[in-house]
Amino acid sequence: MLVPMAIFAQHRFPQPDFESGYVYPERHYFTPAEPFWSYADVAMLVLLMGFVAWAVIRRQVRWPVILVSVISVAYFGFMRAACVCSIGGVQNVALGLVSSSYTIPLFVLLMFTLPIIFTLFFGRVFCAGVCPFGALQELVNVRNYRLSKTVTSVLGVFPWVYLGLAVLFAVTNSRFIICKFDPFVGIFRLGGELPLLLFGVALLVLSIFVGRPFCRFICPYGAILSLFSRVSFMRVKITKKECINCQLCHNACPVDAIRPPYENKVKESRSAGVNRILRYIILLPLVTVAGAVIMYMLSDRLSKVNSDVRLYDMVVQNETRPMEVQPLELQTFYGHGKTVEELAAEVAEINKAFRIWSIVIGAFIGLVIALTLIGLSTKRTRRFYEIDDANCVSCGRCFGYCPQNQLNKK
Amino acid sequence: MKANKKNKATPEQRREFLRTCGRVLAGGAVVSLFGFSFRDVAVWNTTSLWQIDPEKCTFCGRCETDCVLPTSAVKCMHAIKVCGFCDLCGGYYRANVKDLNTAAENLMCPTGAIERRFVEDPYFEYSINETLCNGCGKCAKGCNAFGNGSLYLQIKQELCKRCNECRIAQNCPSGAIRRVSPSEAYVLKGA
Repeated sequence: MLVPMAIFAQHRFPQPDFESGYVYPERHYFTPAEPFWSYADVAMLVLLMGFVAWAVIRRQVRWPVILVSVISVAYFGFMRAACVCSIGGVQNVALGLVSSSYTIPLFVLLMFTLPIIFTLFFGRVFCAGVCPFGALQELVNVRNYRLSKTVTSVLGVFPWVYLGLAVLFAVTNSRFIICKFDPFVGIFRLGGELPLLLFGVALLVLSIFVGRPFCRFICPYGAILSLFSRVSFMRVKITKKECINCQLCHNACPVDAIRPPYENKVKESRSAGVNRILRYIILLPLVTVAGAVIMYMLSDRLSKVNSDVRLYDMVVQNETRPMEVQPLELQTFYGHGKTVEELAAEVAEINKAFRIWSIVIGAFIGLVIALTLIGLSTKRTRRFYEIDDANCVSCGRCFGYCPQNQLNKK
Repeated sequence: MKANKKNKATPEQRREFLRTCGRVLAGGAVVSLFGFSFRDVAVWNTTSLWQIDPEKCTFCGRCETDCVLPTSAVKCMHAIKVCGFCDLCGGYYRANVKDLNTAAENLMCPTGAIERRFVEDPYFEYSINETLCNGCGKCAKGCNAFGNGSLYLQIKQELCKRCNECRIAQNCPSGAIRRVSPSEAYVLKGA
């Protein structure tokens, strides 16, 4: 029933002895100038991030951000249109950290860590316009309709879930989902899968009216950068002078990262405060454990993303009831002569890895949800308009709106 | 009461202390990531390229359809040192053709990308026109089934976009596509 395929080169016919003096043609294959382009990319990354940092922190001007956005869309976007980008690099780093067979190339490591290092020093200058995705959305954004706090809070959890799932599938060597569901690469490459292209275009149309939907509600790398941005050494300031609470910057911010002044009038009694903290202490581990349990229960279903697991399912199905027309995967599997037992052992390992990592990732997602809830319930008194360092993408729109900055110029 | 207040940190001081703790953590994370990654010297390989392992490839035809490019970056390559220069070439003619002439219905290649040149009796030299080749692998399959297996599929580096995750690799039934370092940009057969 099953005919093993002829896979290896068959030397059925001897090499001919030519009498006419035939010489074999020489073939030279194009060697890619990858090292050069990798260095160019890294140099470009550092240069552009440095320029944005100088502009938004020292000079408080916006034009360099727009200039960098144009350069980034042209160079990183349309010209290079190539992997690896910093966002996808998350998966390479995750895989490289746990897998002994995959080593992260230095180039990918730099693409991943350089924006993080810059964020630690200057805030999210990478997001401002160096990232071609952010730049593209920044350039088309003309109008900002503010989303309600409920919407932003709920959608704001998604990048963390996405990050968790991406890491889960990367460490189990199953798939790079960030690359698979990349909405903008099709636009840069002028072609790609239609659903993703449509999604990318829809996101771009949306970002005309709502600031950076991809950065805020999808990008998993932005989630990582927001952590580092919280503790950055230097932060963006709307103005070097004193805030006059005019609210203009708040209305201008596309990512809702400027918090209005707030006076906490409710005086909380000591016992109420203790009670609140107690509730947090109970809620935090509870939601974390719940997340871990839910993901653990889903782990068997999640592991179906792995192609070996799917192949094993197919093999088992075929062994119990042989299919009439076998899919290519099965034909190849039987052609290669690997036994079902060997495959079963491999799949058992993969499933085990999925179970362990699902617990870790589930706990992580639960923790993020719990912390988001706690963050929503705490109130902090602010006297002036303040930048929310985690969400600020250093786009610099607020500078031009601040009347104090205008006075500065004269 | 007053002395108590003096010792107590203000909210600003407390926040600054937390930020410092966060900075130490964040810096430590970056440094340890670098340290951990450099334990392996392979980190110096600047990038990863994709290549098909000719030993594993089964010419299933997915290379033609599953590449992210409109026309696949996979092309047929010819290991001419392996070729038998046969007149009745399994990669050139379809199986069981009536007449051995170059009419399109007799030829294996759907795009007419295989060119052949008479060398001397009874030998013919075969070459691939890569602008026409779509990477379907029909010729390679025929050559492997009836000939020396000198025709094989390979990813052309000047066309490949080097996706972080190669889509053909994900869908390859035999797991034949792997990452290679730029120093060995091509995995060639019979070279």
